[in-house]
Amino acid sequence: MTAALVEKNNAAQPAARHSAPPPFSSRRTKRERAFDDVPRWQIYLPLGVYLLFTLIPFYWMLLFAVRPAGSTSLVPWPMTGDHFSKVWNERSFAVFFQNSMLVGVATLITTTLVALAGGYALARFDFKIKGGFMLALLCSQFIPGALMLVPLFEIFKNLQMINSLWSVVIAETVFQLPLSIILISGFIKNVPVSLEEAAWVDGCSRFKAFRTVVLPLLRPGLIAVGSFAFVHSWNHFLFALMFLSEQDKQTIPVGLNTLIGADSVDLGALAAGGVIAAVPVVIVFAFIQKWLITGFSAGAVKG
Amino acid sequence: MTISKTQRGRAAAAVSLAAALALTATACGDDGSDSGTEGSGKGEITFWDNNGGPRTAIWTEIIKDFEKKNPNIEVKYVPIPIADVQSKYDTAIAGGGLPDVGGVSTAYLANMVSQEALEPINKRLEKSPLKGQLVEGMVQSVRAAAGRGDDLYSMPTSANNGALWYRTDLFEAAKLEAPTTWPKFYEAADKLTDAKDNKFGYTIRGGAGSIAQALDAAYGQSGITSFWDGEKTTLNDPKNVEALEKYAALFKKTTPAADLNNDFTKMVAQWDTGTIGMLSHNLGSYQDHLKALGEEKFAGIPAPIGEGGTRVQVSNPVDGLGLFRSSKNKNAAWKFIEFAASHESNSKWNKAAGAIPANTEAAKDPWINETEPTALAAKALTDGSTKIVDLPYYLPDWNNISKADNEPEFQKLLLGKVTAKAFLDKMADELNAANKEWQELGNG
Repeated sequence: MTAALVEKNNAAQPAARHSAPPPFSSRRTKRERAFDDVPRWQIYLPLGVYLLFTLIPFYWMLLFAVRPAGSTSLVPWPMTGDHFSKVWNERSFAVFFQNSMLVGVATLITTTLVALAGGYALARFDFKIKGGFMLALLCSQFIPGALMLVPLFEIFKNLQMINSLWSVVIAETVFQLPLSIILISGFIKNVPVSLEEAAWVDGCSRFKAFRTVVLPLLRPGLIAVGSFAFVHSWNHFLFALMFLSEQDKQTIPVGLNTLIGADSVDLGALAAGGVIAAVPVVIVFAFIQKWLITGFSAGAVKG
Repeated sequence: MTISKTQRGRAAAAVSLAAALALTATACGDDGSDSGTEGSGKGEITFWDNNGGPRTAIWTEIIKDFEKKNPNIEVKYVPIPIADVQSKYDTAIAGGGLPDVGGVSTAYLANMVSQEALEPINKRLEKSPLKGQLVEGMVQSVRAAAGRGDDLYSMPTSANNGALWYRTDLFEAAKLEAPTTWPKFYEAADKLTDAKDNKFGYTIRGGAGSIAQALDAAYGQSGITSFWDGEKTTLNDPKNVEALEKYAALFKKTTPAADLNNDFTKMVAQWDTGTIGMLSHNLGSYQDHLKALGEEKFAGIPAPIGEGGTRVQVSNPVDGLGLFRSSKNKNAAWKFIEFAASHESNSKWNKAAGAIPANTEAAKDPWINETEPTALAAKALTDGSTKIVDLPYYLPDWNNISKADNEPEFQKLLLGKVTAKAFLDKMADELNAANKEWQELGNG
């Protein structure tokens, strides 16, 4: 019955949007009218300038990546794939990419799963040190990763996990969990407890009620937390550098840094490496931006 | 809805906490304090390349040669990005996991020696065929940088030297002579500048690594040949102050304004792709210039000669291979070090890197003279025409003083917010204090 109720509610929402116009839509507010009076250029010009500043570095990176070495052309023509071929084949970026992907996906999964459990506990349970725990989670955000480097290194060494990608996954997960738990707990608080209670009445266990009733409603939050975890671990350099001392275990950020020598830099290769590093992040954001914005705005205001 | 915590939850929390504490408390391992063993001379050894990436290909080749000659030894190669090699070593010294052999520059040798991470190699070198086959100047630099008397803490493999790169096409067009002296340098910087047309005479290093270049210019012009005068540094000598004032005045007058944040990457890229007459950088960027400009458009010469008729320059770091105290197979590790520093390997490596070999036989190889900038640099370092001012790499505080503490101050100097005198006085005070502290610890 509960599942049917949830489905019914979900199905009813779009219809409601079409049939009942939102309040105030027929009468424009003073602020909205004032907004309409603003000349378009006053909106588009600053946005255009901002866009320019954002895109120029990307254009520059693409330009260096595809133009031949020694070229000073400001347009990417003639084009060459030499730099990509060099970093992918000669500089082991194929291996780094695979490692980064493994670390990113594993971090995404572990962070999301643990954050769901932690967030649920914070949202649904009351316990004595809850306030202190929340404070500790917030405070942990002020601890830089570098500070924990040596203790983490020793722990992983004792666990014989140095040179294992799992050491990076665990360290990344640990550092991303506080924010993820806080965000997820905000989303879960948003879901009325009565929905879960209805499921319990229907005979669902707590876990089944969570899985069938709460989880489907958390999609924006899960996407926000998951993408944040993936992108952060994809870009993170320090743990991979310190915990992985084998060439075939290194990740993209470490690989990028090895393109900068003591006295010389192959800018074409560096730019090509930058493009390879940026592509997954751009793709991830392109596909999830709708949910990401919803997710962050919905979770951000819940305490 | 309220659900209170259970006894089971408390127990689980306690177990987790205890496990975490136990895990941390038992942490120990092969950090810098471990004395290691000589080992069988067979098996696997780990080598950390301190300039991983650009040198990966040549190291891979040398390792292959080594393994062919020593089939019982396998070398595990780990490339470390140059910018982070110190922190990687520091973490491994503190937490364990040091390699058997590692690339070590004199720029941070003292830091590693003070943490007892490296083993002196004097005795091994005495018995080695390499005895007497190393450039004495480089050996002395390594000894001085460690600051432990005669103990040698790394096998020198190569040195770099500062070069003044200039655009021969621009010089010819402006009918200027090569900038072999400081007056010619200033004249060219001025004449090649047309800021409205985005043409500049020189590019100055205002960002990371600015201090060594600034000191090179100061000592090069002043002609002062020693960094210390007794227990005080000569850094803020009035002649150095005057020289630095003149040099810093080039900023924005004959250099791009963006130079304020120039590290070597930006500086080299700017010179390779723009219209800038001169660049001060070491031999390492030769291949970049060659790719960007072609052989015809540029040349590299040693630092300009001062008015006294002598070329004075500050010391450049010497690169070498360190044997780690914690190694469990020092015999095999030493074999690899010996092989890498031998005539053939050392020559091969330095040819690929465009650097000056530490092996005296390798330094005589024909390829040295095939590349003019390297040949000139090698000649300048060995024919007695150049006086070297040894920078105090041995001071544990040197890196802080010459980087974090004073690079922002140099930017202030370029912007005219502090005077050259104030800048040098501040740095001199810090160096004098660091030197005093170092001597009080029984060094020097």
